Amino acid sequence: MNAIEVKNLRRVFRARIGVFRRSIKEVVAVDDISFAIETGELFGLLGPNGAGKTTTVKMLATLLIPTNGTAAVLGKDVVGDANEVRKHIGFIFGGERGLYWRLSGIDNLRYFASLYGVQPEVSKKRIPYLLEMVGLKDRGNERVEGYSRGMKQRLHVARTLLHDPDILFLDEPTIGLDPVGAREFRQVIRDLQSEKKTILLTTHYMFEADSLCERVGVIDKGLIVALDSPSELKRHVADLSVIEVETFGASAESLERLEALPFVDSLSVRDNDQRQMLLIQTPRGAEAVPDIMASLDGQRVGRVLVREPTLEDAYVRLVGGRV
Amino acid sequence: MNFKNIIVYWRTVLVVAEITLRHQMNDSFILFAVLFQPVIIAVLALFMLKDTGPNAAMFVVVGSGLTGLWSSLLFISGNSISSERWQGTLESLVGVPTPFEVIVFGKNLANVVQSLLSMVVAYLLAALFFGYSLHLDQPLLFLASVLLSVLAFISFGLIIAPIFVMYREVQQWQNAMEYPVYILAGFLFPILLLPGWTTPLSYMLPPYWAAIALHGTSTTNAPIQQTLFAWGMMLVFSIIDLFIASRLFKIMLYKARVDATLDVQ
Repeated sequence: MNAIEVKNLRRVFRARIGVFRRSIKEVVAVDDISFAIETGELFGLLGPNGAGKTTTVKMLATLLIPTNGTAAVLGKDVVGDANEVRKHIGFIFGGERGLYWRLSGIDNLRYFASLYGVQPEVSKKRIPYLLEMVGLKDRGNERVEGYSRGMKQRLHVARTLLHDPDILFLDEPTIGLDPVGAREFRQVIRDLQSEKKTILLTTHYMFEADSLCERVGVIDKGLIVALDSPSELKRHVADLSVIEVETFGASAESLERLEALPFVDSLSVRDNDQRQMLLIQTPRGAEAVPDIMASLDGQRVGRVLVREPTLEDAYVRLVGGRV
Repeated sequence: MNFKNIIVYWRTVLVVAEITLRHQMNDSFILFAVLFQPVIIAVLALFMLKDTGPNAAMFVVVGSGLTGLWSSLLFISGNSISSERWQGTLESLVGVPTPFEVIVFGKNLANVVQSLLSMVVAYLLAALFFGYSLHLDQPLLFLASVLLSVLAFISFGLIIAPIFVMYREVQQWQNAMEYPVYILAGFLFPILLLPGWTTPLSYMLPPYWAAIALHGTSTTNAPIQQTLFAWGMMLVFSIIDLFIASRLFKIMLYKARVDATLDVQ
């Protein structure tokens, strides 16, 4: 049975621009997407910034009205039955906002428990249980303003679970967390998955989607460009190898030369201060290295590595080299 | 709305009010609007009326309390939705099953109850520093007037907040709305002193009827008919305000979900 069904969902944002001659600019954030998520499934929505992930989640969480199309959560329409949908969902949007910083963690949870209609006798037991679950048992009485980013995110999880929702929307929940905090958070997601919650997770961390999600939808420019299990998505690049080349100040011309090589399937560049990491997908594997080095002639080159493709490489290929 | 829902919502209103009070305890602007400004007004008025007897002092105590109520309503309740938006909590509040107007009702209850504190402070000021022996003419009727005033102010606040969100040009006049209401509603002196053409404007303000009821039962020993009429007007205004607010909240939330303005972009 499907917990979430999305049919031809579209969302257009309109913004006024100009001071004297005002006009309306339209931006299509989500463009006619359709997918379904089964009950108890952990589904990932993967895409670069501005791809339409958050907009999709906000429409499903009843916080935005779609321009066209329909979406149903547990069979209830997210526009017509918004209040009914809200009883069964919980959502987290990445970042530190959305909590009352001058209140303690416990007061934040008491407040939202009341707003979710949780009976006082139930919330008295549930709040300590959730604080323990997210590792904030000893900090619950402290004001949220003193919490680290990771602690705030974990408090968000506790807030989201107050009414024991069947469906969770987690929008880039690990963004900005340190590696340890992100790892702990992923364990929380795994625990929720083992409780048979239906989870829609958006992320642009490939390994996160790879390690957590049963199926992944790759979204780009508002369109779903691929939808499959991580292992099936990796098959999109099974015929390719990935050559990682570390360069220092590679020129635009040399990158253009490299991209024009006939055996280069895609090229993506990650900048890190003075250093660039070139990720070259090619069917020729290690044999391509001499030609690649020749096209980088005159550039300072560091480490070179040839490896098997990952989900990230499949993603890079699907979204055309943009990460 | 069935009886069970009313019980659940009322419980929610009380929790929201309690937590809002705790949250606002450290907000210096709120302390100014609720405490310092009414106290300054009370001190000025008590000096001006210092030889006119305890009745005038009681009038000042109640009047300065009303100024605190109105300022709190205008600034704190009026901004209650936009301040949630700026601190990133508006989406979390709209995304819960409790109707949003119930949440704002609870927040307004906290603001109004909190601003009654200014009346208590003005009372202590008049009694301790100016040496007045103050007493209420009709304590029970005064208490009932306070309760009805709280309802009238909360209901009025439920209209102001969505209007400020939907029509930012109205909110720009927020500062200019503070003192005219002090005067038109007769908080610190009777409206009989104003030109006749302003009287209909006063009649249209729920705070005016609150002032009539509170002043009438605290100092002027007003006839019961006058107090009952003021109560009736506050009830009528509250019912009308609640009806308009329920429509305004639906329109505002739908518009915000269409325009994507629940969060700061």
